[in-house]
Amino acid sequence: MQSQQKNQSIRPFKQRKSLATRKEEVAGFRAKFPSKIPVIVERYQKEKYLPPLDKTKFLVPQELTMTQFLTIIRSRMVLTATEAFYLLVNNKSLTSMSVTMAEIYRDYKDEDGFVYITYASQEMFGCPLLMANPELQHSFGPGSFTHLQPTSG
Amino acid sequence: MSLISTATLTYDTLRFAEFEDFPETTEPVWILGRKYTIFTEKEEILSDVTSRLWFTYRKNFPAIGGTGPTSDTGWGCMLRCGQMIFAQALVCRHLGRDWRWKQGRRQTDNYFNVLNAFIDKKDSYYSIHQIGRRVIWVVSWEGPASFLKLAVFDTWSSLAVHIAMDNTVVMEEIRRLCKAGFPCADGAAFPTDSELLSNGYPPAAEVTDRASPWRPLVLLIPLRLGLTDINEAYTETLKHCFMMPQSLGVIGGKPNSAHYFIGYVGEELIYLDPHTTQPAVESTEGGVFPDETFHCQHPPCRMNIGELDPSIAVGFFCKTEEDFNDWCQQVKKLSRIPGALPMFELVERQPSHFSCPDVLNLSLDSSDVERLERFFDSEDEDFEILSL
Repeated sequence: MQSQQKNQSIRPFKQRKSLATRKEEVAGFRAKFPSKIPVIVERYQKEKYLPPLDKTKFLVPQELTMTQFLTIIRSRMVLTATEAFYLLVNNKSLTSMSVTMAEIYRDYKDEDGFVYITYASQEMFGCPLLMANPELQHSFGPGSFTHLQPTSG
Repeated sequence: MSLISTATLTYDTLRFAEFEDFPETTEPVWILGRKYTIFTEKEEILSDVTSRLWFTYRKNFPAIGGTGPTSDTGWGCMLRCGQMIFAQALVCRHLGRDWRWKQGRRQTDNYFNVLNAFIDKKDSYYSIHQIGRRVIWVVSWEGPASFLKLAVFDTWSSLAVHIAMDNTVVMEEIRRLCKAGFPCADGAAFPTDSELLSNGYPPAAEVTDRASPWRPLVLLIPLRLGLTDINEAYTETLKHCFMMPQSLGVIGGKPNSAHYFIGYVGEELIYLDPHTTQPAVESTEGGVFPDETFHCQHPPCRMNIGELDPSIAVGFFCKTEEDFNDWCQQVKKLSRIPGALPMFELVERQPSHFSCPDVLNLSLDSSDVERLERFFDSEDEDFEILSL
């Protein structure tokens, strides 16, 4: 049971529920909370650095800007200002940070009525050998590798 | 080609065997803000490319930290690309964008001073030894931050380094940074938390030019232009970055292999590749030392824009305040090009809540909670309502 739940949380929201179910859900939200935008926020599947969020679904005030939304998610994850963090709408667009959720909803909402946002940090290049090499880690000093994550290849 | 698709394969084995020449096309070639025509200006293009400082893997340099590695082959490509973009800033700062390197021609002391700042030894300002000590850079894209810290010690260049996070460039912050650090009543010498992303500068720093109190700006904008692939809507905007006279190029690459992109032609990006291991060069007292290996003397590599990994950092250099104002104008114009999605946003000032997230009180209001409880069944626990 435990592991089944875990698996469920890893699978993208869209794969967990049918289109009809999702549409129904959105219709319910819109009826109960007409001034709020239903948003799905998920971690990029290959993200290795940023922590998972405990919530996937958000009802967001429509006047909230992307900057504000990003600030909220950032603070949930307790990220520092220097940590790279990006919100991509529909897996591809960094929208202008000053647009409101209402505008995002108008331009990007899915056929099911949700807005899909994925969060990711930045990929790194060219350091797979670094983490495998204790000699290097030693010469760069302890604590140097707190941000280290494996890269494939 | 397999040549560049595998991170660990360097072109040592091929040793500059074959580098494809530029395509015969009427499309312009853009190199760091300069426009060229292939048919009439091929030599000028190659001369411009060769003049860039080219940093590659090196071997047999003094051990990092005294006992550490003596080569960065296999792990240093990201650092080398960082050095290249920063070196371009120093070239613009001390030698100018029009300066050209030519084999055999004697170069100025200023040139050797710039190059010396990157030589692989522990007391160079921006050497792999220095960056290594400041670490984060090696392993993460937060990395340009360490150049920012190193730049504080380079009083000769007196640069202001700013890293714009959250794909937003705040003009007010940059003006404050570039105008700060000159001898004045303000006693704050070191960066406070809120200035974390800009290098604070000791007020005692040398100031040679009091007439224009503007420290030359190095602006780096880390971006993510898609998840697995670059979103096509950004390619035109990306090309335009190479057309701006303030361009320092772009660091990015393919998975596991970083490149320094300096321009484009048609749908191809032009880049310098650090994945070649060369023997380390020792600099000598008094300046002049063998420097041919720091210049790429074969036609530069090219790759299709679509192959670019979506994680990049775009760089710009604004020597004067006028340069910066001009850059702002160009970025604003860019946002009006039809079909081109802006990669980042330029705003006058930081929205007030941004620096202080606490003013956003986002606890659930009680009416919402009540409605929520009535609305959801128990299985739907991964839900949250935000209220302003």
